[in-house]
Amino acid sequence: MRMIKYFLLLALLLPLTATAATEIEISAPGEQRMPLALTTFLPTDGAAVDEIAAEINEVLNADLDLTGLFRFADPASFLSDAERIGLYSTQVDFAQWRLLGADLLVKGTYSLQGDQLVIEARLFDVVNRRLKSGRRYLGRSTDVRRMAHSFADQILKDLTGEIGPFSQRIAYVSKQTGNKELWLMDVDGHAPVRLTDHRSIVLNPDFSPLGKELTFTSYVANNPDLYRKEIYTGQEAKVSSRQGLNVAGRFAPIGREIAVTLTKDGNPEIYLISYSGAIHKRLTNNWAIDIDPSWSPDSGHLVFVSNRLGNPHLFTVNVYTGETRRLTTHGKYNVTPAWSPKGDRIAFARQSGGRFDLYSIKTDGSDERRLTFGPGNQEHPRWSPDGRFLVYSSDADGKKAIYVMRADGTGARRLTEAGDDSSHPAWSGRW
Amino acid sequence: MHADRLQNMTEHYHADTRFGRWLLASLVLHLVMVLILAGGWFGSTRRESKPVYYVDLVHKPVLNPQAGRPDPRPKVKSKPAPVKRQAVSVPPKPVAPAKPKVKIPAKSTAPAVKPKPDKKKELDLQQRLSAMREKEQRQSEIDALKDRLASLQDASPATIPAAVPVGMPTGTGSEVGVSIIDYIQATIQQNWALSPYLLDQSRLAAIEARVELEYSAAGTLVRYRILEGSGSSQFDDSIKTAILKSKQLAQKLPRNEDFTVIFNLKEMAAAKR
Repeated sequence: MRMIKYFLLLALLLPLTATAATEIEISAPGEQRMPLALTTFLPTDGAAVDEIAAEINEVLNADLDLTGLFRFADPASFLSDAERIGLYSTQVDFAQWRLLGADLLVKGTYSLQGDQLVIEARLFDVVNRRLKSGRRYLGRSTDVRRMAHSFADQILKDLTGEIGPFSQRIAYVSKQTGNKELWLMDVDGHAPVRLTDHRSIVLNPDFSPLGKELTFTSYVANNPDLYRKEIYTGQEAKVSSRQGLNVAGRFAPIGREIAVTLTKDGNPEIYLISYSGAIHKRLTNNWAIDIDPSWSPDSGHLVFVSNRLGNPHLFTVNVYTGETRRLTTHGKYNVTPAWSPKGDRIAFARQSGGRFDLYSIKTDGSDERRLTFGPGNQEHPRWSPDGRFLVYSSDADGKKAIYVMRADGTGARRLTEAGDDSSHPAWSGRW
Repeated sequence: MHADRLQNMTEHYHADTRFGRWLLASLVLHLVMVLILAGGWFGSTRRESKPVYYVDLVHKPVLNPQAGRPDPRPKVKSKPAPVKRQAVSVPPKPVAPAKPKVKIPAKSTAPAVKPKPDKKKELDLQQRLSAMREKEQRQSEIDALKDRLASLQDASPATIPAAVPVGMPTGTGSEVGVSIIDYIQATIQQNWALSPYLLDQSRLAAIEARVELEYSAAGTLVRYRILEGSGSSQFDDSIKTAILKSKQLAQKLPRNEDFTVIFNLKEMAAAKR
């Protein structure tokens, strides 16, 4: 009887085992970069201008490489389709690109008539054999880099849903003229332009949310006063020239306020002021030094540096309630915080062993990560508007220069010449 | 005098002639040597380079993969052998003959230890012994059934030992190749390209999608269906691309197969920690 039971059980279990769904788990992709083929742009009419094609290629290559999203197919392996104009999916031989293992393909053309430049750029999905994105740019021959940056932004938007930051600008302080002046450059370090001629000391620039206006501190009137400057018109206005420090002004992402450190009452405290300089609110009231504010993306909180518990550490303050909370507990000297535009992390510099390195930490004080390890001092971190990159100053190559890297600390590259003595970078919003 | 002179001249002439012959012979011999060294007579002395063959080692998917190293006794299986023995012993009720076998030594030893055993105690002991034997018997029957079930499961593709890689001494199976699961997994994973920078870094550990795939025996993807999306369009798009890239497998399959593939980033999330 017992045996019969067992056989019945066996008979019941067998069909189950035979029809059980086979499950396969794949817990990591085989490749962590998307294979992309970046072809040389071809002339549609007239003679080929190699410089234009080379410049488009150089800009796209540098921008897309910085993202860390792509693995570039070797141009030496490209087949005949790379030499054919193919702006439509029907004109592209996708089989050739599949053979090279490319998932994505960038093709394009240019046409130079007099000084007018027309660039057509395309991003193709090789696997699905379809056009992912296409753009036509019109401009002068000198706009070629800007057009290429713009298409790099577009590629990022197509793949991530968020526009890239490559068409924007970076403001920074440089001593190229012998004085610390305010400068502006492309995000790859090209086309640097001097913005101020104070022949004094200019510090701590920050872009307004609309992007075309800067605030900074200058000693031109023999006092560290806060200024605003319109980039296109060049007009400047004093925002705060109270006695003592008027430093580290930061535009609120939402609303028309500036957070600033003032020492008008003798002790550095953080205030909210209007664009015209009127004090709206005093945020800190402590015997200690409170300095270097940085806004959360919703303008509801600020992170700042205070030595109220001994060493300089990061604290957050609720703008509405004034509630203050300690953020960092490690290290003995944490300064220059910058709140990510995505809101999830805060980058800062920590002095340890006589040198500064960059770290990032979650807004609840957990998951602290060291981002830089090389020689020299890494300071003044600021986020790109999409939160993917950090721009900062470093003297790893001798004198201070501006560097950029991914938010996880990888892919660092120098943007300005090492001899320019550059520091205090700030990434603009959409240009 | 004249005659002497003439003789001298003749000798000189003969000597000159001999010298010319020797010179000619020497030149001919040198020419021959040059020709020999130049390889004209013995053909080319250049070494032909050996042909180089490039071989792609492909793991052929099989139903019952032999996952062990080459073995002098390849047909010896660890599991099926005892199964057969057990299966034979179970049906004809070998319980009855087993009982007396055990009893006999028990009886033979009992008198040696206790020449005058208490009848009650002996009865109790025998009852307990028979209970033990029954329990043992039941256990052996259950074990036999378990082994039988295991051997049947081994034959089904759903339980091909995916965890046992090829070339391991612990391997089992009878065919040269890899399991279908290993093969499909490796192919799709190889075709899956996804940058962590595309995703929200805080969600890496939680992100997961389930896809149902159906392959024909020819190794062609017949259809696929996303059972559960991940909630991230970038992640789901990368999966679709990987599946489309794996549309045609390089090897045929033993038969039509359905799979549920679970895509996640557990390894990547662990590495980021």
